[in-house]
Amino acid sequence: MKGDMYIARAADKDILKIGENGGAVTSLLKFALESKMADAVVAVKAREGNRYDGIPVLITEPEKVIETAGSLHCSSPNIARFLTEYLDGASSSKLAIVVKPCDARAIVELAKRTQINLDNLLLIGLNCTGTLPSAKAKIMMKEIFEVDPADVAGEDIEDNVLTITLKDGSEKKEDLAKLEEQGYGRRENCRRCEINIPVMADIACGKWGTTNKETTFIEICSDKGSQFAQAAIDGGCITIEQPSAASIDDRNKKDKAAIESAKQWQEKDFSRLEKMSSEEKFSYWFTQFHQCIKCYGCRDACPICYCKDCFLEADRGYIPPGEIPPDVMFPMVRIAHVMDSCVNCGQCEDVCTMDIPISLLVFLLSKKVGDIFKYEPGMDVTKLPPLRTTTDKELTLSGVDIDFEP
Amino acid sequence: MEEFEPKIVGFFCNWCSYAAANLAGVSRIKMPANVRIVRVTCSGRVDEKFIFKAFSAGADGVLVCGCHPGDCHYQKGNLGARRRVMGLKPFLEAIGIGGDRLRLEWISASEGGKVADTVKSFTQTIKELGPSPLNGRRNEH
Ligand code: SF4
Ligand code: SF4
Ligand code: SF4
Ligand code: FES
Repeated sequence: MKGDMYIARAADKDILKIGENGGAVTSLLKFALESKMADAVVAVKAREGNRYDGIPVLITEPEKVIETAGSLHCSSPNIARFLTEYLDGASSSKLAIVVKPCDARAIVELAKRTQINLDNLLLIGLNCTGTLPSAKAKIMMKEIFEVDPADVAGEDIEDNVLTITLKDGSEKKEDLAKLEEQGYGRRENCRRCEINIPVMADIACGKWGTTNKETTFIEICSDKGSQFAQAAIDGGCITIEQPSAASIDDRNKKDKAAIESAKQWQEKDFSRLEKMSSEEKFSYWFTQFHQCIKCYGCRDACPICYCKDCFLEADRGYIPPGEIPPDVMFPMVRIAHVMDSCVNCGQCEDVCTMDIPISLLVFLLSKKVGDIFKYEPGMDVTKLPPLRTTTDKELTLSGVDIDFEP
Repeated sequence: MEEFEPKIVGFFCNWCSYAAANLAGVSRIKMPANVRIVRVTCSGRVDEKFIFKAFSAGADGVLVCGCHPGDCHYQKGNLGARRRVMGLKPFLEAIGIGGDRLRLEWISASEGGKVADTVKSFTQTIKELGPSPLNGRRNEH
């Protein structure tokens, strides 16, 4: 049932050995294929063993699932975009897909726009408190941890400490806040992200609420997730026990602490902008926009920018061709088109060649717009984007500025 | 020093506010000449690109006028306009153009006086705000 919680581990001995936290996620993915509940699995794998280059892979053979075991904290592949660009939005095949909260939210937003068929997806969510930008992470490994980046075999963030495990099994730790002060640590959007447990997925898996490194805490978040988990348990693919009250409490506390930290980052980053005078805001942002080389990277990476025929293309008549930096229409239209639905995935900023802090601005705006329309992007597929919809009820509200109800 | 005369672009719905502006004209109601009116089929037609284009072309303010809720000839076009303006204000504010440079008003075909009042008060607001920073920036180039 939705809301059920389990402490789970792989039944298979090999998976138990290789998988992280008892290999429950790997087992579930394998089970999805074996039981034919999914035609294929989408998960993330290190390209040729390079942990800084995680890529989404499509797997149809159950034995291959194990190659995706373990999380890669130094890559942030664009899962939602992968689905729409290469898998036709799951229109014709059933997929079990491993998602972080922002991936799941982007998928939900795309489902609202009929770009992804949610009915064909089984979203296996992973708790997340942030990923690291890969290029900077490599420098950090060298400069701060004083290790060869290629020697790193695992990363983990827990209680504000980044722990890396080396190939020889030894560990090194650094305080995350200190790293971030020095310009390392997590991607900036991740620091500000307060959605750590992917409750919008079908099941949410994570280590919070477990005491050893040998089990995974699973929360069932939908009926589909419930059916799947039950089948996996009945099929003997995972073994489960009920979490104790202390374990649930521990998970809640960790989530709360991560939310609190995200709120502090928001406060810090947003108030820096809010404190500026109008003139300063203008000069700050238009100096940023002025550096744009119109590479279209942000648009191409943003999951919300799904249009086949984008207004920013020269033939649409709004942005003159051959002009760099582009007319102010370029950033303004791009931002206005996504600001009600931004899932703070940071993909736009990751790809921006000119390091323009776009996701900072769009996330800030999505918060403001969300406050007005009582909308939270990517959380509920039945709630439509507020700047693209209206309701009959508004016909009777006469003001030019009205209050929206949650 | 010459007084600053704002350039305002007004997007007026054909079925209500545009007719009201006409009425104000034939009734010889006095109002400032700062608003350049663009007739649109419905306030719902005024998407963000129109508004940004006006600012990018040097407008100091943008005024969107439509039929009162419930009276739109296309049922809910004006409701979309209302949401859009409500959403764009914080955006314009955040990037330093200023949310008050964008205004929405409901004016029915018979409300000639309201056209004049709206134009007067909005022109006054923009005078107080001064020229749009985008406008100034454009002139530098
Ligand atoms: S605007 Fe940027 S952060 Fe927001 S959804 Fe698009 S890519 Fe992600
Ligand atoms: S900028 Fe607007 S038109 Fe272009 S892809 Fe994004 S949402 Fe679509
Ligand atoms: S990614 Fe950066 S440089 Fe490229 S179009 Fe977007 S804002 Fe401009
Ligand atoms: S017809 Fe006037 S606002 Fe729609």
